[in-house]
Amino acid sequence: MAGAMSLCWLRVRSGLCLPLTVRRASSCERAPSCRFYSGSTTLPKVNGTDKTGIEEIVIPRKKTWDKVAVLQALASTVNRDTTAAPYAFQDDPYLIPTSSMESRLFLLAKKSGENAAKFVINSHPKYFQKDIAEPHIPCLMPESFEPQIEDVSEAALKERIKLKKVKASVDMFDQLSQAGTTVSLETTNSLLDLLCYCGDQEPPADYQFQQTEQSEELEEATEENSKKSRTKAGHQFRVTWRANNNAERIFALIPEKNAHSYCTMIRGMVKHRAHVQALNLYTELLNSRLRADVYTFNALIEAKASMRNEKFEVKWNNILELLKEMVAQKVKPNLQTFNTILKCLRRFSVPARLPALQTLREMKAVGIEPSLATYHHIIQLFYQHEGLSKASSLIIYDIMNELVGKKFSPRDPDDGIFFQSAMKVCSSLRDLELAYQVHGLLNTGDNRKLLGPDYQRNFYYSKFFSVLCLMEQIDVTLKWYKDLIPSVFFPHSQTLIDLLRALDVANRLEVIPQIWKDSKEYGHTFRSELREEILMLMARDKHPPELQVAFADCAADIKCTYESQDDRHTAPDWPANPLSCIAVLFLRAGRTQEAWKMLGLFRKHNKIPRGELLNEFMDSAAMSSSPSLAIEVVKLASAFSLPVCEGLTQRVMTDFAINQEQKEALGNLTALTSDSDSDSDIDSSSSSDTDEGE
Amino acid sequence: MFSRVSVFLPLRPLSRLPLSSGSSEVSAAAIVLPAAPHGTVRTKNIQRYFGTNSVVYSKKDEQSVPAGESSRETSESQDGVKENTKKDLLDIIKDMKVELSTVNVQTTKPPNRRPLKSLEATIGRLRRATEDTPMKRNEPLSPELVAAASAVADSLPFDKKTTKSIFSFSNIISDMKVARSAARVSARPMHQFQFDEGFDNSFDQEETANLRKSLRKNIFKGKRLNIFDIKAVTEEVPETETSPSLWDVEFAKQLATVSEQPFQNGFEEMIQWTKEGKLWEFPINNEA
Repeated sequence: MAGAMSLCWLRVRSGLCLPLTVRRASSCERAPSCRFYSGSTTLPKVNGTDKTGIEEIVIPRKKTWDKVAVLQALASTVNRDTTAAPYAFQDDPYLIPTSSMESRLFLLAKKSGENAAKFVINSHPKYFQKDIAEPHIPCLMPESFEPQIEDVSEAALKERIKLKKVKASVDMFDQLSQAGTTVSLETTNSLLDLLCYCGDQEPPADYQFQQTEQSEELEEATEENSKKSRTKAGHQFRVTWRANNNAERIFALIPEKNAHSYCTMIRGMVKHRAHVQALNLYTELLNSRLRADVYTFNALIEAKASMRNEKFEVKWNNILELLKEMVAQKVKPNLQTFNTILKCLRRFSVPARLPALQTLREMKAVGIEPSLATYHHIIQLFYQHEGLSKASSLIIYDIMNELVGKKFSPRDPDDGIFFQSAMKVCSSLRDLELAYQVHGLLNTGDNRKLLGPDYQRNFYYSKFFSVLCLMEQIDVTLKWYKDLIPSVFFPHSQTLIDLLRALDVANRLEVIPQIWKDSKEYGHTFRSELREEILMLMARDKHPPELQVAFADCAADIKCTYESQDDRHTAPDWPANPLSCIAVLFLRAGRTQEAWKMLGLFRKHNKIPRGELLNEFMDSAAMSSSPSLAIEVVKLASAFSLPVCEGLTQRVMTDFAINQEQKEALGNLTALTSDSDSDSDIDSSSSSDTDEGE
Repeated sequence: MFSRVSVFLPLRPLSRLPLSSGSSEVSAAAIVLPAAPHGTVRTKNIQRYFGTNSVVYSKKDEQSVPAGESSRETSESQDGVKENTKKDLLDIIKDMKVELSTVNVQTTKPPNRRPLKSLEATIGRLRRATEDTPMKRNEPLSPELVAAASAVADSLPFDKKTTKSIFSFSNIISDMKVARSAARVSARPMHQFQFDEGFDNSFDQEETANLRKSLRKNIFKGKRLNIFDIKAVTEEVPETETSPSLWDVEFAKQLATVSEQPFQNGFEEMIQWTKEGKLWEFPINNEA
């Protein structure tokens, strides 16, 4: 009875509680299958609350945190301050860089200071033995770079190999073989590794101070120069493989070479551009029935692709042959295999497009996820010779669609160049949406870390900003300007010129004085192109008075920069355009004295003013009703033998009240300037006759 | 680029032709081409605008022509037929003046197609050819072409006579029809289709955006090298564990430098110091 009662009570319950249980079921998946549906009479009739006695408690596992987890959480709360210098530059306020050249010098100085300190510590370790840190900090203690073991033994050889002393290792090896002790294959292989990696040269010392070859011109250069600086900053010397160097000699001495010996030799030869020898050695390896590893195959692909004087089809077939051999030898390809293929295909431009896509698909089919370097190579292949082919490929859109929202980590050394090349393509295609897509990808996850060193970063942002200037609405562009500059990158003068042109298009010329102030701050005070662009934009049209005053102040400022430049140079060179622009701006703002001084400068710098300029001066003279000024204008015009001289003379005659001697002077002037124009003489004389001077 | 943009501007407000063709260039051009429902007044203007786009068409014609062809040409046709949208498209296309020089363009033998060289040569010629306007009727059309054209003409729902006369001048239409039919598209060799990647015209920005959204195919679809087998690659082969050689160590160091960036805030600096061992690990473990 009780059971039946409770059963029907339960059923009623379940009917009533249905909505509740549904909600609860959806919210807590962990809850055991809902009690109300079990149908068992032993379950209590409690509505909604969890009874601890009945329900299982699942104790969550203890979370283990990474040692940097707290710091990472804190770091994620900090955003970029758009009004401050980047964190890396915050030191002594006097030293905070304000231009891209200064910022590079700053970073280099910081790094070289660290290197110098390390150098001192390691050269004089006996002074730095006191260790007060608890726990011990190994990386702050002096490191020794000299081998300790002095006797002739394999252990000594191993030590020298570990310290990367090429010459010392080779000497030790020779001593050992002369003494008759056999060196184990493993040690010999590691010696070969060292020799092949370093190309039988001493590796560059750790404390080599980087050369600062940057000059202002390099800063202003285009992407070709940034590539150049990239290769220069990398390896200062491209070592080539000498024949019969120590590596080959030692290799020949090994009685029983294993696969590792061959592989490391092949890799070394390819690295140091001895491609033919590498391929020959590969044949030897095959003859010895040994198996090459995937890294060797990657090197061989590079070797095959670098053979001279072969057509594309031949090279491509060779590469495919190599891949088939990989399969035959059961060697699994890795990411670098495919990236090397794509890199080699880049040299061939159009015929290589289809093979490149096939390679990409192969990669995907085999389960190797393409990295950013893969896409970089493809982009370069399709867009490298943009100028040559009129039709541009649309593959960048496919690539960006594929990449949207993905997070990348470095898997290939070339990963850092992707964003640069992608933004370059956006800039050449002038596609704003694509640029936003690329920028969005950059800000996904930690992809920002893959932007590369500072010149690459600057290049990326310069291109991004130039696309914005070209294609985006001016308000948004100005917002980006405030956001990016100077907290992310310092603009080149070309970037600023692009921004000025964008302002021009959008008719927001009132921002120009602000841009000039910023330009001075970023080290572009003396850039002629920039100054001329600013002056030209300001002087082109007439503007309302307040704006005109602001423009005139800006022009005065620019004039000072020209003057200070003059002081420094022995041969002052002040182009005609800025002169006229400044003069016009002064004139329009009512600063007539200074404007007239500018006119004087024309003669000083031997530049010829344009007719329109003189007309404006004439207007201003008319406004102030001063005939003497008007005559000055005419004199200037005649001095330069300008065709506008007659027009001006006419104006003076008609508009101004001049006396007789002035008229005569004018007449002389016109007689001087116009030889063949007798009509004007007659006119002027007739008009001087008719007009009675007062 | 910008001049072309301005040329395209007046065409924007016109409706777009939905095409089911898989070919992006065709559809793109078709989209850009207005569906001119009002007769031929536009066609004459449009032919001026599409002078360069004709490159696209002719190239396609080269590749997709099934039968052997020697040369092709178009001429102006003063046709004033009232049409449906298909006919509009054809009208416009036939008005495009594409002509080749007297040199034959041989892309005939299917097993021996060399799309690259002939394609480039053709495109060069076509580009030169589109500049000048005189009509040239070079060789008599091959009979197969005429047969094909008439077959196609039969399929079109308008006056046969005019159609045939149109087709006797322009092969492009037949190829267009051929290209647009689904069967044709699939029959095109994939590698040529892929090859078209290299020669997409740079369209108007807006059209490009729409193209991208609607018609872009995945770069991963298509032929691959078929050298590696996924099973062989992904199976776990027990490799003998060797300590990393110098090459591996240096490669790892190189990779680490790829993702080096200056610190963005003090916490990142502290993270770096913690990893180097210069800083306490937080939270501090007093029991260790």
